[in-house]
Amino acid sequence: MKTISIADQPWLSMKRTVSITVDGIRYRLFRASVTVAVIVVAVAFLMNILAESLIKRAVAQNTRERISNSRIIYDWSAKLTAPGSQESVIEDLADCEDGSPLEAEFRAFTGLDAEKLTVLRKQAKDIMTIFRFFDELDYAKRRSLIHTASGMDILKRLQKPEYMEQFNTALSRIRSVQFPLSADLLAQILKEEPAISAQVATILSARSKAIETINQSMGHATILEKLADADGEFGDVIRKAGFNLDETRVAPLLVSQANALLDTLVLEKSMEERPTRQLIAQQANILPADVNVIMMWKYLDSKKFATRYLDKMQESGIAIGSLTPERLVELAQKRKENASLLKAERLTMDAGKGALGLGERLGWLLFVSMLVCGIGIANAMMMSVTERFTEIATLKCLGALDGFIMIMFVLESCFMGIVGGIIGAVLGGVIGLGRMLAAFGVNFLVAIPVGDVLLGMLVSVLLGTLLAAIAAVIPSYKAARLAPMEAMRVE
Amino acid sequence: MTETAVQPSAKASKGERRIIIRTVGLKKTYMMKGVLTEALRGVDMAIYQGEFISVMGPSGSGKSTFFNMIGALDSPSVGRVFIDEVDVAQLTAEELAYLRCHKIGYIFQSYNLIKYMTALENVTTPMAFGGVMPDEARERGMALLDLVGLKERWYHRPIEMSGGQQQRVAIARSLANNPSVLLCDEPTANLDLHTGQEIIDTLVKLNQEKGVTVICATHDHRMMNICDRLMWIRDGRIDRIANREDVQIEVDSIG
Repeated sequence: MKTISIADQPWLSMKRTVSITVDGIRYRLFRASVTVAVIVVAVAFLMNILAESLIKRAVAQNTRERISNSRIIYDWSAKLTAPGSQESVIEDLADCEDGSPLEAEFRAFTGLDAEKLTVLRKQAKDIMTIFRFFDELDYAKRRSLIHTASGMDILKRLQKPEYMEQFNTALSRIRSVQFPLSADLLAQILKEEPAISAQVATILSARSKAIETINQSMGHATILEKLADADGEFGDVIRKAGFNLDETRVAPLLVSQANALLDTLVLEKSMEERPTRQLIAQQANILPADVNVIMMWKYLDSKKFATRYLDKMQESGIAIGSLTPERLVELAQKRKENASLLKAERLTMDAGKGALGLGERLGWLLFVSMLVCGIGIANAMMMSVTERFTEIATLKCLGALDGFIMIMFVLESCFMGIVGGIIGAVLGGVIGLGRMLAAFGVNFLVAIPVGDVLLGMLVSVLLGTLLAAIAAVIPSYKAARLAPMEAMRVE
Repeated sequence: MTETAVQPSAKASKGERRIIIRTVGLKKTYMMKGVLTEALRGVDMAIYQGEFISVMGPSGSGKSTFFNMIGALDSPSVGRVFIDEVDVAQLTAEELAYLRCHKIGYIFQSYNLIKYMTALENVTTPMAFGGVMPDEARERGMALLDLVGLKERWYHRPIEMSGGQQQRVAIARSLANNPSVLLCDEPTANLDLHTGQEIIDTLVKLNQEKGVTVICATHDHRMMNICDRLMWIRDGRIDRIANREDVQIEVDSIG
């Protein structure tokens, strides 16, 4: 007699599984969109934090570069007027990079080859580490460790055995402080200190000599006036004296900054004259006595006022030099830009240095947001599964495997995770971008790390999807394991 | 109706009656809010291949529980269910799915169609689970819809159909993989007289033309006129089993 032969149920094709899942989502579009909204909010939050910290980090970097560029004039005018101290030479040595103009300059001054200079630079770095260690200590600790010594005197003091012993005893007593160098390295540095000091002295005397040469060529002009010619004759003088002035990058910057400073001097001097003061007071609608430099810069931003101001200067016999209205506007704008740079520097003080530019606080915030998102999605998925118990039971009556039920729900959750993730990532990114632009200004548009932000988006989308999938696994596993009639009874 | 009445006795007279579903000492207890409820208190029963059997009983008698047991939709607390001499409790999850997919067709009181699928998709879903290729499934699905008279409405969703039409789609779906057994849980309860009659006619046709074993839980007295055997359940036990002819006589004698 023929019996019912029982075999294993085959797996449903992925294509069909996906199409059934998609139909289901479309049918419950409203329900699904609530779940998606939860994901959108969570991922948007995540992406927002990521984008803002990434942008902040990039802007911080950009700001540092631009600020150091804008201060080149001060660096060079200091360098060309005074040789500096031993400590400043050590700092320069520690900071100078391989193949930089500064390195070539040091090589010329010391007569060392590249290899030996690298050793010297490494030693300078270690010495800087020691200096910084002592600089960060509070007064009492510092005093007990090194008495009142500072700079190179610290090394000189430690070379004496009795002080070294005193230092070591004090160090072992202060438990909260960790000396950054190993005892061996410190001993080595102390041993080599005379040689290093000799090199530093060589550099200092070479610098002095170079400065002497430059001074002789200057006549009665100020260093600022001379630097306005840094790309011409004076540049050659500097180079001949032994300083390595980069012709293509640094010299033009020096020229423009020197000119700007000279023009600024002329302008700010004009502020002291009565007629111009009156003009600004008129414009600002205040008493001439209340006028200050900041106001002048504020109004010079417009070409119309700049023209009037220059006319007034001429009229009253104040020297205007080579100033034009366009130049006034340009200077005012540059000043504004500098102000925004300083503001950006202040705002990015807290920019993290970690992998994603996240500080400790943001990392914690991110963790909490993920937790909330996970619970939200888990709740939504559980609701979605529970209200569909009848459907699950029916599908099981029709021969659905437990695995199919699970895949269906996990897939559904993944779809919602991807859709919610993408919307959330875009939303969070745009909000972050907007907020950062509002904070730093359009100037920093170039500094935005597009690649990093896109990567952050990808990470957010993946994380959102993963969270949704994980949150769906438990309820769908439960649903799949139920006997069909038990599932129907759950209602 | 008279023609259908001849057929079962002819089947019965063959003498060689194979048992398709058999239960031994079937018991089921539920914990309901801490109270132990006995839904079935020991049911021994044999259902023969090709027969049309009606299961009757007041609500709460354990009728539905009995149904779920023999349909392999729920597991008994004590006792065994044999479907074609195979102990259901011994089957793996995959084999159970295969059994539900290929061997048993289910028709529910509340239709239980999948709401987001069209009539045709509802009918072809069990075929897809059973591994039938989409083209063939579509062809067979249309033929089944034709059988229940809904060929023209294959693209309608359950919400766009009346109760009777939904139940007919459910019947078409239950037949998707040519099952040996059709389990109907009050198939006419939610329908008006005329549609109910149509459903009954369809079931009878299937029973006689395709030799499908039909097991029907019902309160509908029209079922009594066409089934081979009747079974009454009361308080979780079998109250009485009778052939239709005997019951007919009883009714006549009362009349």
